[in-house]
Amino acid sequence: MSDKTEQAVYEYACGTEPSSLNKTGGWRLAAPEKAKRLSPCCKDCLLHSEVPDWMEAVKGGRWEEAWQIMSRTNPFPALTGHVCFSPCIENCNRGRLDQELDIPTIERAIGEWRFENYQPRKGPRKIKDPVAVVGSGPAGLSCAFYLAAEGYKVTVFERSPIIGGMLALGIPEYRLPRDILTKELAILEEEGVSFVTSRALGKDMQLPELASEFREIFLATGAWLPREENIPGADKKGVYHALDFLSMINTREHPEIEDPVVVIGGGNAAVDSARCALRLNGVNHVSLVYRRSRAEMPAHPPEVEAAELEGVELIFNANPAEIKAEAASGQVESVTFNYSKTNREGLIVDKSSTFKKDCGSVILALGQEPDYSVFNNLDREMAIFAGGDLVSGPATVPEAIRGGRLEAMNIAAKMEGRSGPEVPGFSEQPVGFEELNLLARPDLELQDRQKEPGPEAGRCLGCGTCNSCGVCYLFCPDVAVDWLNNSYELNLDYCKGCGICVVECPARALALEGGY
Amino acid sequence: MKITDYTMENELMYSGHNACPGCGGALAVRYLTRALGPNLALAITASCWSIIAGAPPLTALKCPILHCPFPSAGAVGSGLRRGLNAKGHYDTTVVVLAGDGGTFDIGLQALSGAAQRNEDYIFICYDNEAYMNTGMQTSSATPFGARTTTRPYPLFKHGQKKDIMRIMAAHGIPYAATASLAFPQDMENKLKKAQEMKGFRFMHVLSPCPPGWGTDSSDTIHLSRLAVFTNFFPLYEIINGEQWRMTYHPEKTRTPLKEYLEAQRRFRQVDEVTIEALQEEVDQDWEGLLKRVSTSNAEK
Amino acid sequence: MAYELISGCQAAALAAQRAGVDLVAAYPITPQTAIVETLASFEAQGELKGEFVSVESEYSALSYCNGAVAAGARVFTATSSHGLAYMHEMTQWCSGARFPIVMVNVNRTVGAPWVLDPDQGDSLSQRDTGWMQIYCANAQEVFDITLQAFLLSEELLLPTMVVFDGFYISHTYEPVDVPEMEQAREFIGPPQFQAQVVPGIQANLHGLSTGEAQLQLVRKRHEDMLRAPEIFADINNRFEKVFGRGYMPVEAVIPEGAKTAFLAAGSTAETVRWFLPELESCGLIQLRMFRPFPKDELGRIVEEHGLDRLIIVDRNCSTGTGGYFAQETRAALYGLNERPVVQDLLLAGGIDLTEDILAGAAQKSPGDGFVDLQWGVELR
Repeated sequence: MSDKTEQAVYEYACGTEPSSLNKTGGWRLAAPEKAKRLSPCCKDCLLHSEVPDWMEAVKGGRWEEAWQIMSRTNPFPALTGHVCFSPCIENCNRGRLDQELDIPTIERAIGEWRFENYQPRKGPRKIKDPVAVVGSGPAGLSCAFYLAAEGYKVTVFERSPIIGGMLALGIPEYRLPRDILTKELAILEEEGVSFVTSRALGKDMQLPELASEFREIFLATGAWLPREENIPGADKKGVYHALDFLSMINTREHPEIEDPVVVIGGGNAAVDSARCALRLNGVNHVSLVYRRSRAEMPAHPPEVEAAELEGVELIFNANPAEIKAEAASGQVESVTFNYSKTNREGLIVDKSSTFKKDCGSVILALGQEPDYSVFNNLDREMAIFAGGDLVSGPATVPEAIRGGRLEAMNIAAKMEGRSGPEVPGFSEQPVGFEELNLLARPDLELQDRQKEPGPEAGRCLGCGTCNSCGVCYLFCPDVAVDWLNNSYELNLDYCKGCGICVVECPARALALEGGY
Repeated sequence: MKITDYTMENELMYSGHNACPGCGGALAVRYLTRALGPNLALAITASCWSIIAGAPPLTALKCPILHCPFPSAGAVGSGLRRGLNAKGHYDTTVVVLAGDGGTFDIGLQALSGAAQRNEDYIFICYDNEAYMNTGMQTSSATPFGARTTTRPYPLFKHGQKKDIMRIMAAHGIPYAATASLAFPQDMENKLKKAQEMKGFRFMHVLSPCPPGWGTDSSDTIHLSRLAVFTNFFPLYEIINGEQWRMTYHPEKTRTPLKEYLEAQRRFRQVDEVTIEALQEEVDQDWEGLLKRVSTSNAEK
Repeated sequence: MAYELISGCQAAALAAQRAGVDLVAAYPITPQTAIVETLASFEAQGELKGEFVSVESEYSALSYCNGAVAAGARVFTATSSHGLAYMHEMTQWCSGARFPIVMVNVNRTVGAPWVLDPDQGDSLSQRDTGWMQIYCANAQEVFDITLQAFLLSEELLLPTMVVFDGFYISHTYEPVDVPEMEQAREFIGPPQFQAQVVPGIQANLHGLSTGEAQLQLVRKRHEDMLRAPEIFADINNRFEKVFGRGYMPVEAVIPEGAKTAFLAAGSTAETVRWFLPELESCGLIQLRMFRPFPKDELGRIVEEHGLDRLIIVDRNCSTGTGGYFAQETRAALYGLNERPVVQDLLLAGGIDLTEDILAGAAQKSPGDGFVDLQWGVELR
């Protein structure tokens, strides 16, 4: 009856089709886009790890993706999660809100996820040219990892019978459970890396010999030579150099340590030695003596605190003058110290003020340096690569890993006839707490650290990186933000370029391109 | 509320509508349809939304929209409610959407009548503080000091913004609330609360209008937030016209009104003395509000 | 047949009740008040199927109907004079939106000054708003046509205004045959139109559109309304079968040989009909339907009876032109080969139509001091 009338009403006076047929993106004068900015954690990370990105993946339970992001800069998160002193959390903006994000725990979790989920590559692999890596410390292993990932045949030479360098010999087990290194090495072997142990460069083999067998050589022999300080009596029985002492502990060789123990030095090796010594049977008293003040200690403060808590006696502003031994046995019996302090000129030692510390053993941790003799026989024509402590002097595990990675890229680039990677400079200021627009997040609550990695990663504020908080989606008047492939994506078909998302983005991870 | 609980499927508003970039009114409707939908029927009075909703063959919302003339919204909504009841659609939530003109001015009669009869629907005023669809002419919701095209420079609006919330409270309706686009959670809570009630429910949403207010389109949320932080637009609800309750107390975030005014070109001719006077007014209104809140608490 | 002695207002209210309306929204105004009160009393006695709502203004009354009819409800309202004028925006909106609303308008003068007499200008000035308008001559017609109007509106998806004179009809008690509820309900049935607002179905109704779309809508509305005389006749054929009486859009009572006829709508038609025996060789054309204007039917009557003179009873005046009915009649008959002379008898404001006036007007034939516009007051 009135069908036609109804039709007319519907045709001319009633809209029934979605307005999304109207592509309002054409109105736009400026377009928002994801624009990553530097986060404090990434800036402070010695590996320049893209922390907010893998946090985001962990939050979403996307562990494979987290590993992929992580391994772009750090192939051994399980290791670094234990041994790194985590400068990343020092300026974590979440700390301004409630508590810094527990970055190392999640870092470790990613590494452990990989241990459990590692699948050897299937099928035949095209093996590229052979590369020799000398030294199996973090720099060497890192270089081996990245070269192997590129398909190169990597052989790692280690002078000791044990693989791992500083990771195996220098770092005490309480700081790095040994099975982690074992698992990392097993995966490296699956990835095609060969290990040759008990082969020392300069002793068991020479550079020219390596050069004839391998297309490229990477030297990462570390910094193992104790720094000589000429302390009278340093050659007495019962005096150990820290790295020798730590190596013995780590290889279960039992050093002959008599109680009480005096450790001389203020670096991490000193603290590690003191804590290891205290763990030995028969040792009841360990003193750590440092010539400068506590504040000047190069050791990582939490490690010093841990040592103190365990009962290590800390003595500061005391410079060793002489180590005395028992005449009959030649065994050390005491160390004499002078009062010392630093001023503008450097260390001032007051020889008039002395004190004596009786002891059964002395561990000297006065620093170590690279053994440059590895460069002997280096032909002028021969081009080799080097990294890790050998180049930088004593540094940290993450720095060595970073060096190994960069050199792996340089080596690959050279072999493939292209220029090496550009290393990003971090001159940019990281996103500060005040910049974050946390007011915009209706879901944000003060929260303690969470036990599970997912919820803990969910606490990440994503400074400068989209952390899928959804504020752009929430505040878009044009419904032009979609949840696609696990992230919020701007739909420029409809975005009118109002810029609300850019202004409101709590993480400061959007920018308006084009301007008005 | 978790934002991530929402998906495009929850949205009752389509992209491609005709709102200006950064439109507060568009966002208000996006929130309200999402919170109240999907079983929703909207009556929209003459306002920007007459345009935003789209022209045939398009529609911007996934629910029926009945457009109606300017003064009629309050009555059309009432009729729609009873008409739907007559057809057995008791579960459908009826919402009337009106701008400040359709609420404070020309629509006040029908609004008041519906409120007095306690008609069973939700009336939502998206207040952009002038006749924006026609190009920023003064309404009785325009705040003192604002420039409009009917009070052009160097003139500006004299007289206070009408206190619509007190007018609605005086009707003794079951529920009335203010809402800000910068506090979507608060707005959603209020809408859901309102939806569970029967009778006449009223919501007043401040909806920044970038072209009208002379603000950057990107500042819509920022301004909504500032309006709350400056106490220019406090967030509260009124139950049965008697129980006043704050839903956001800007203790830590309290901001001088000046900051809000200076962010908008419509206030550019306002001098320091006037700003001070306005600040005083806002302070007085705030004190009055706190008093009503504490009095109604005492009565409880 | 059971006759009840009721007023026109009561007849209108009874028709709405018998139609089983879902909703009545109304605002009181003299002389329509009795309709509102009667419906309210029905509700009070539980005799109204739907709801009766007292609203805050006529504007809101029609707006209220607007919302309810959009949802598919059968609605009714009634007004008069200033009330109708106040609805003016909504009357147009209703027809534009194709809402089948039935409204009774009781004619009363629109001020200033305040006048209660039944000038028809209130409803006639709404002639261009897209409503069908039917003028009733007595309380029986009021009841019957108000009831039928629901069917007419719902068939054509256009609003109908049922119009009758204040006081002459609204307040005068007449015997009216009011069908029993069941019989009336059976005749009219449930609402015969689709709801526009259906929960769950997206529809952006009556929002922004274009001039060209409006052209299509106006054309459709016009063409639909032109079908009204035919539909009205159909309804009345069915009505007659059930109730034994029926109406045509235009009806003529022309005595043999009469060449002059009065054309009247509303109670004036009844008055003319009463005096016809006293008026020598004059006939009556009763115009019920004013919108759409039954041009063809009127032309047929004029040609069939060879009428050479029509006297149009206009209890209204469009200032600067004259009576509405006369204008419309002249325009409608302009296409005839033998056009009758059209004389406008103006009773604007609302003086009683007496035998003197009718006789006086009939005497003023062409060539006998004829004027095309005659003020009734001069003929008393």
